[in-house]
Formats: sequence, C-alpha cells, structure tokens
Amino acid sequence: MTNGVAISVNTAQQLYWFGRYVQRAETILRELVKSYDYVIDRDVDDGRKLYAKLGVEIDYRSACDFLKQGVYGKQGGSIESIITWARENAIETRHLLDERGFAALNKIYNHISAGRERAVSPTYLEEAIDNFALILGIFSSELGRPKAYNFIRLGQQVERFDLILRLYDGIDLVNAELESMNAIGRRLNRNYQPLKITSSSIPKALSAVNGVIDRVIVKSEVASESSQRQGQ
Amino acid sequence: MIEPISPELQKFYDVFEGVDQTKVSEFKDFLEANAVNFNLFKDGSFIERSFPFDMIPRIIPKAEFDHLEAGIIQRVKALNAFLNDVYTEQKILKEGIVPREYVDSAKGFLGEFMGVVPPKEIRTHISGIDLVKDAVSGNWIILEDNLRVPSGVSYPLTIRRAFRHTYPEFFESMKISKIKQYGDQLKAAMDYVNTGGLNVILTPGRYNSAYYEHSYLAKITGATLAEGEDLIVEENEVFLRSYNGQMLRVGAIYRRLDDDFLDPKEFDPESLIGVPYLASAYRTGNVAIMNSIGNGVADDKGIYYFVPQMIRYYLDEEPILSNAPTYLPYYEKDREYVLANIDKLVIKDVAEAGGYGVLFGNRLNPEQREEIIGMILADPRRFIAQEVIEFYDLPCMMNGEILPRKADLRAYVIHGEEISVSMGGLTRYAMEEGNYLVNSSQGGGFKDTWVVEL
Repeated sequence: MTNGVAISVNTAQQLYWFGRYVQRAETILRELVKSYDYVIDRDVDDGRKLYAKLGVEIDYRSACDFLKQGVYGKQGGSIESIITWARENAIETRHLLDERGFAALNKIYNHISAGRERAVSPTYLEEAIDNFALILGIFSSELGRPKAYNFIRLGQQVERFDLILRLYDGIDLVNAELESMNAIGRRLNRNYQPLKITSSSIPKALSAVNGVIDRVIVKSEVASESSQRQGQ
Repeated sequence: MIEPISPELQKFYDVFEGVDQTKVSEFKDFLEANAVNFNLFKDGSFIERSFPFDMIPRIIPKAEFDHLEAGIIQRVKALNAFLNDVYTEQKILKEGIVPREYVDSAKGFLGEFMGVVPPKEIRTHISGIDLVKDAVSGNWIILEDNLRVPSGVSYPLTIRRAFRHTYPEFFESMKISKIKQYGDQLKAAMDYVNTGGLNVILTPGRYNSAYYEHSYLAKITGATLAEGEDLIVEENEVFLRSYNGQMLRVGAIYRRLDDDFLDPKEFDPESLIGVPYLASAYRTGNVAIMNSIGNGVADDKGIYYFVPQMIRYYLDEEPILSNAPTYLPYYEKDREYVLANIDKLVIKDVAEAGGYGVLFGNRLNPEQREEIIGMILADPRRFIAQEVIEFYDLPCMMNGEILPRKADLRAYVIHGEEISVSMGGLTRYAMEEGNYLVNSSQGGGFKDTWVVEL
C-alpha cells in the first residue's frame, strides 16, 4: 500500500504563497518602521518614496498617519491585507503547518484586525517583526513535513529576491544567492530547470524570479470537469 | 432538571476549588489563537465563529460509559448490517421487519447503487450517535444516528490537549480515559478498507462550516487533504494530481460532503465541489468511500424507528439502548395519535438535520398547529413525532455563574477491523435556559466529555 501525504497543486501553491506573504509582511514591516523614523526627522517624503519603489502610491499627513496608512490603508499591499492573505493560505494548509506557527500568525492577525480604530504602535510592529521571524523559524524546525516546508522556503526566497530587486535594485545580490533557490527547486521537482539571470534589466529579473514556481508546479492540462475514460 | 452530582463530578469540583480559576480565560485565548472555528453562513455572509466552550466537562462514570459503549457498538453493527442488506438481498424488507415503502420512499435510499458491495462490507466507517440522558428514568436515550458526515469530533480532541496544558491537576488526580488515540484509530480504519493508494480527506473547502475539522483530521491521520478539483477519475480509478505532475492512486476517501455533491455526473450536476465519475469508481470497488454512498437511508428519521427491530433481526439480541418513543404518521393509528396529541409531541421533518425542521407542539400557536397538521396530512412520510424527553441539564459556567443548560452527547464510533467508541465525545449545550436545541448550527456551545473511573 502506497500511503503517506501527497501535496496537490492547490496545496503546493498555497504553501508557496504562505511563505511569500509571511516574508513580505516581515520585510515591509521592517521597512515601514525604518521609514517611520525617517519621516519624523529626516525626510517627510521617505514613506512615499518607499512605496513608490513597490509601485504603490501612498498619502499621509504625519509619521503616525504614515504607519496607519501602511498598516490599514486602502492602497494595495497594506500590512493588514498581506497578513490576511498569509492567514488565508495558512488556514488552507494548516494540516501541514506547525500549530505554534499557525497560532502565532493568527494572533498577529487578530491583533491587527482588532486595532483598526486605534493608533498604530511602532513598538507593536517591532514585536510583530520578531514574531514573523519566529514563525519562519518554527517552520524551519519542523522535521516531519520537509516537502511542505520547502514550498514555504521557496516562497520566502522568491519574495526576498523580489523585494531586493524592487527596493534595492540588487540584481548582483540575487544572482549571488540564486543557487539556494535552485537547490530548493531541485528538491521539490527532479525535473526542475535551474534559474539563471543573464539580463541586467530589473523587470526581466523580476519576471524570471516570479516565474520560478512554474518550474516546480506542473499544472494539469486536463480540464477538471471530465477526464473519465470509460473505455466504452 | 440538573443531573445529580456523581462522585466523579464531585471529584472534579474538589480539584477545581484548588486550581487557579483565573486561567479559565486561557481556553478562550487558545480557541481564538488557533482559530478553532465552527463557521456560519448568516444572511448570505460567511462568519468565522469560535465554537463557544464551557470548561465544566460532562463527566460520565466509567461503568455507565461501558454500558453506553456496548449499546452503541450493537447499534452501529446492526445499522451496518441493515445497509449491506438493503443494498443487496433486502431480506429485512422481504420478511416485513422494515416496511419496504419506508425504504423506497427514503430520500437517502439510492436504488441505483443496489448490488454495490463496498470494501470489507463496511459502510458505517464513522458514525455520530446522538444521545440524551432522560431525567425521568435516568437512562440514556438515542435521539439520532448520523451515518453520513457526522462532524464535531475535532473539538473535544483539540480542547482536551488545551485542558491538559492549562489544568494538569485534573489529569494528575483523576482517572480520565484518553481520547487521543482517535487519530490512530481513524487511520487504521482508512488503511483497513484502502484498496491501494493514498488515504484522502475530501473537503468542500475553506468556507465549509467544519473546515477546521477536515484540516485537523488530515493532520492527525496523515491523510492528504484534497478538494474535488484535486482528484481525477480515470478508467474507474481515482488519482490525486500531485504538484509535480504525478498522478497518485487513491485507495480510501473520507469524504466530508453529502452524496448530493459528491459526483456531478451521478448526483447534482451543478456541484462544483465533487469529483466527476467518483461514483463509478466506487461501484467497481476501486476505492473505499467513507462513509459509503447511500447511507442516508439508515439515518433517515423515519427508519430510526425500526433500529431496535434491526438489532433483533440481524444480531438476535435485545437492544441495550432505547429510542425515544416515536410515532410514524405514515401509519393511520400513529397518525391519529399524533394529530390528537400534537401539543405534547416534538414533530421532526425527516429531511432536515442540524436542529432544523424540529417543532415543539406545545410552542405552536393555533395557526401554526393547523399548518403543521395540514402538512402531516398532505405528506405523512415526511414527518415523525416523538414524546418530549425531559433530558438533564448540565452545569455550565456562564459569566462567572454556574447555570443549568440542556445538553446532549454525540458519541463517535469508528468501524474498521473492529468497532470502537471514542472514550469521550462531544457534549453540546444550548446557550439559552430551557432551549432543547443544542446543535452547533443553532448557536450552541460544547463541552469536553470525560469518562472517569474512581
């Protein structure tokens, strides 16, 4: 009997996006808090510049308002929406996730959801950054489900490269670390074709990095409606 | 009426007096942090809802539970035999023990599956048997058999762990039966009927009210959690589409969706959550479906009436546990009684579940009474009537006070190589005083159930 846990296409995608959103939440929170300090005493437009790099327009009246907009604003990619997406992916894959990691993420979600009417505390955001690092650390200590963890790691790594390219134009940095991502790809799919970035164009590099998941997950070409071959 | 305090419950109170009671709030925190939800759709909106929990467990003395266990096993054995018979030789119908018209008119009877024999002839792999404890006789009474998709087992399993972490004192000083083997037992039952391949838990998806449970069961059994679109049937074999393009054979499916939605080619063609041609694979015996297709005929509220007769017929034993006194308006004599005594009875629509379609005769106004009488006369097979069971209230802690609330018990039974009853179960209680409807979908809460030996 061939028993054991298999990972479907949907679950693989959700694990991957879970890794991406958790990494995105951690990095954007870090940048948000750093920029908050700059907005206070260095450059009032620093927040606008940060979000412009991400392709997002943001408006604010003060440093505190900048935090509020960053966490709850209607622009794409608010912290609240990133955490909501991370949680949605976690809910759908929680049978493969460490329970403590799930609970830690859910607590952050509950806290952020309940705080819409309050001022955003930079101290709480710093705690949340630590907790996101903790969540990712918890999953790395999971020994029982290495495949699920590798999808999360792949998502993390892709998100990290994506943000390095967007925020710091760091194409050399990404290239230097590309092998770590390719190693995960090979572990997940033996037919994985390693990624090489030969162009110095950031948009092309972004497109290549974001396309890595398609080298790992093979989407069926058969329509799901009917594939029964009755042989009659 | 509140259940008298047993020595076992007294022991709980004795320990409770000595523990840090401020830690009770940790349960709520635990349930919230872990999103232990029983979701609801209300007014067209999806609401994530924590399942309200009361920390005072229902305590059942071990000797009393042993009796319950024997009665439940007997019942599940007879129900499985009935299903095997009714889909093959129909001896019980031919001998007139159960009237044929009752089976033929049951919505859950699927004649197109006549002759299909599931792996190991097991059809009731996972059952939820609902019971109450009658305050008049002190006996446990069976209210309902759930043989399709009984939910709820994950909640006591989840909270038991939290209980042990928060208040180890109870587990150190009381002899409480363990329930954590449920996952192993369920896995063993899946393995037992598996026809070769993966064990899969088939879920309708994240917006199902019991999605937490589906996910939890996948975790504790090591089965693969899948939605309909993850599975494919080819030449009457079921496969899971793995992310890397492999097609992995599936040998057993614990489906958490009703027959109607299971296979759009066989049942509701509008179903988007099923697996096309799954029923064909089941017919050929290539996959075990847990619970089997067509089980609805055995947990039909009308067929419930005949379960004691089934026990006598198939097992040649007297029923250990009793049904609630039930009348079938389908029969003239019963109909006359029901219409004459409607004020004293509970009327149940056989097609409904989850506490819906239950009417208490004494709460009907004259117009409502006339309406229900008209409905019974128009379609008597659609209803059953039962005497109101005055079942015990249990002590519940509400806003710092201990208050009585009606509560039932759902016992979970796994039918693998052996039949086993989980040594606990889900105790559901009504939120409002005097409310007899304890169902989760009616807003009720839950308690853990401890089987205790002194």
